[in-house]
Amino acid sequence: MANSLFDKYGGFAAVNSIVIEFYNSVLDSDEVGPFFENTDMENLIDHQTKFISFLLGGPVSYPDAKLKAAHANLEIQANHFDSVKTLLGETLADFEVEAADIDVVLEKIESYRSLIAA
Amino acid sequence: MAIASINEQLLRAVGVGIALFDGNTGNLQFCNDVFGEWFDDAGPGVAITALFPELDLNDVKTNITTGGRHSAELSFRRNRRTLVLAQIISRATVGDESVYVMECQNITRIRELESMLASYSKMVERNTREIQKEKDQVEELLLNILPRGAYDEYKSFGAITPKRYEDASVLVLDFVGFSKMAEQLAPANLVSELNELYTAFDQIGEQLGCERIKTNGDTYFCIAGLEDSDLDHRGAIIKTASLYRQYLQKRNASSEVDWVCRIGLGSGAVIGSVVGVKKYVFDVFGPAVSDAVAANAAAGDFEVIATDAFAAEGNTASQFAPSKPGMQVLIAD
Repeated sequence: MANSLFDKYGGFAAVNSIVIEFYNSVLDSDEVGPFFENTDMENLIDHQTKFISFLLGGPVSYPDAKLKAAHANLEIQANHFDSVKTLLGETLADFEVEAADIDVVLEKIESYRSLIAA
Repeated sequence: MAIASINEQLLRAVGVGIALFDGNTGNLQFCNDVFGEWFDDAGPGVAITALFPELDLNDVKTNITTGGRHSAELSFRRNRRTLVLAQIISRATVGDESVYVMECQNITRIRELESMLASYSKMVERNTREIQKEKDQVEELLLNILPRGAYDEYKSFGAITPKRYEDASVLVLDFVGFSKMAEQLAPANLVSELNELYTAFDQIGEQLGCERIKTNGDTYFCIAGLEDSDLDHRGAIIKTASLYRQYLQKRNASSEVDWVCRIGLGSGAVIGSVVGVKKYVFDVFGPAVSDAVAANAAAGDFEVIATDAFAAEGNTASQFAPSKPGMQVLIAD
């Protein structure tokens, strides 16, 4: 079985930098940052750690129902979803993730669009 | 350059946030640039408690009076982020004046990393639990088709070598008139009945050290003495056979379906091995199995029959007249 991107890019020891960078990018974004205005740091970090690990094939599973429930009532629109996708692509590129691997991650997140965006 | 000016420049140059405030009024007198970057409103005259609402000045005074310093960790929101500062407040005296010095280290990144580590640890722990659960299920399934010893060998070496057991006892049970029952009962009903019977046999056998090897339609095979060389396997297999009979007779008294068994026993050497490459079946062969099959074929309704050799080895005196050549009826109505 092929190694996951999570393993390929160094496991948690490497992914934690991606998580922090993505966390900062999301908070700094005026488009999606306000969604986290009242979210405390522990919850947001927890969410981002699981989210990045999940997309890279790390040791976390997100059943569709859980993913949908986590984003229900947030009224996430298509432009918000696109924005997060762009931020993620940029963050991964900053950490020298190969373009082909970034495409894989972005395709994966795209496949969950209907569960996340309203 | 005046000493006061040098001191101020030093306070401005250090990498930690510094604020000086009046111990009595709690009003800021000075803050350096690092501190000022955290609070837009920070400046002379501003109450320190306006910046840190959780800060209790009475606590600060008490701690400084008793221990010389006050330590705390306080958080606040800025630009959608939670910033966490580790603070140490001490007292400095300038001439006749006493001023409180607050040093603040930004430990936000440390707390973020700790949160991330906690989140990741939980993920890994959950994952490990799920893997362990799956492993346990696989082990349970394999132990249904393999004796414990064979399973342990498979787990350690990835293969099971055929093994000769010098002395073990085998029980073969089948049901009289099964073919006819198979025609009369609905398939689901028949399977449900067999499932119940075989489960009961498994439980009875397990208590006495007998292990089911396989079933083949209405034929049930079990063996004693494979795993435990100290077991009186002949005694155990006779006891098991006796309990199978009793169980069936009791069940028949209250069940719509009557099951009549015949039981054959044999003992001696057997070879145990896994047969098959992908679809594993653990099976046993040898004289003990052949004897038990032959005894089973010779048995009448609810009879437990063993070969002469079995009876002689086990010193099992039959109270029934020998009616079949080479066989001893051990239990009958």
